[in-house]
Amino acid sequence: CAVQPRREPLPPALEAAAQARQAEREAALRPVSDWSLEGRIAVSNDGKGGSGRIDWTQRGQAYAVSLSAPVTRQSWRLSAGPDGARLDGVEGGPRSGPDAQQLLLEATGWAIPVGALSDWVRGLRAETAGPARMEFGATGRLARLHQGGWVIDYVWPDAADASAGPVLPRRLDARRGEARVRLLVDTWTGHESLADGTAATPSQ
Amino acid sequence: GARDDLDTFTRGLKGLDGQFTQKVYDAGGRLKETSSGEVALSAPRLFRWEYAKPYPQLIVADGKTVWIYDEDLEQVTRRPQGAEEQNSPLTALIDPSKLDRQFVVKEEGEKGGLSWLSLVPRDEGGASFRSARLAFGDAGLEKMIVVDAVGQRTEIGFSQWKRNPAFPASTFKYTPPKGVDVIGG
Repeated sequence: CAVQPRREPLPPALEAAAQARQAEREAALRPVSDWSLEGRIAVSNDGKGGSGRIDWTQRGQAYAVSLSAPVTRQSWRLSAGPDGARLDGVEGGPRSGPDAQQLLLEATGWAIPVGALSDWVRGLRAETAGPARMEFGATGRLARLHQGGWVIDYVWPDAADASAGPVLPRRLDARRGEARVRLLVDTWTGHESLADGTAATPSQ
Repeated sequence: GARDDLDTFTRGLKGLDGQFTQKVYDAGGRLKETSSGEVALSAPRLFRWEYAKPYPQLIVADGKTVWIYDEDLEQVTRRPQGAEEQNSPLTALIDPSKLDRQFVVKEEGEKGGLSWLSLVPRDEGGASFRSARLAFGDAGLEKMIVVDAVGQRTEIGFSQWKRNPAFPASTFKYTPPKGVDVIGG
């Protein structure tokens, strides 16, 4: 599939402004700890994987992710928090374990970095995934994030229809070696309290 | 009762084509998703679900492989056609003898102007759902309700059924477009 094009860096002044705006954005978004999204996800890992509808509900450190396959809507549900993870709806009955990502991989073969994704999906660096490098687009928005061995490309909604609340990503395309996760967000809920757009990323 | 409606509906039935609207409710009963499109079935194991709203998505089973194409995600998933399709209540319609072999079928009487059948999979492990119900009205099968292992309920309403239509050869065939990732076994 397409090799990600090398992005030319922004001029220093624009780069600094974008970095500052990203830090401001993270400061505004991190306190919003109860949010959810509905969308679609496609996962491929070395030729295996699948796609379906995804519902993600975050409550502080705990999150629940459910994925339903097309038509039959056969779905599994991964719920995780600081004290471990549980997976329901997979063949052979519920499973639990200390690490959500590992539990999901073992049960479904799907490689989804769920822990870090709860930050990445909002366009934030993950606090648990080590050093990050960011590349910004011409509009000053985060275009590509390098962290935890993953490279994540962002697509943002057009500024015009960013109605209530801050601007949140419309689409993510994350790769790590053979593993690829594509996530397209249809609906965000929970950030309405930031409606005054403090975290909005102004576009030039 | 519903069983007679089922028998009348499936007698001499080799293929079906119609419109559907699908509503998905989470375990708490909250409506999560509404979608619609066209469905085509052809005995013994071919089917095509073409979602138009809210976004295009295509699922085709050509007898050997199930293809799922999500246009926006630019990914085609393919997997061998297997158990999941075999014990789906809809495909069992085309081969009613299979219905009794795979499900405990019970009459649930009249409700909302429709007559209802309940289907519980005989092979608990193999089925991808906990229970299903079929509802029959003047136009034959009008509703299918499936509850899956985590309590999520999918309600599909059918309309404009065409019986034994002459399907173009391409209906149950699928070739991934160029430039799209094809993944899966």
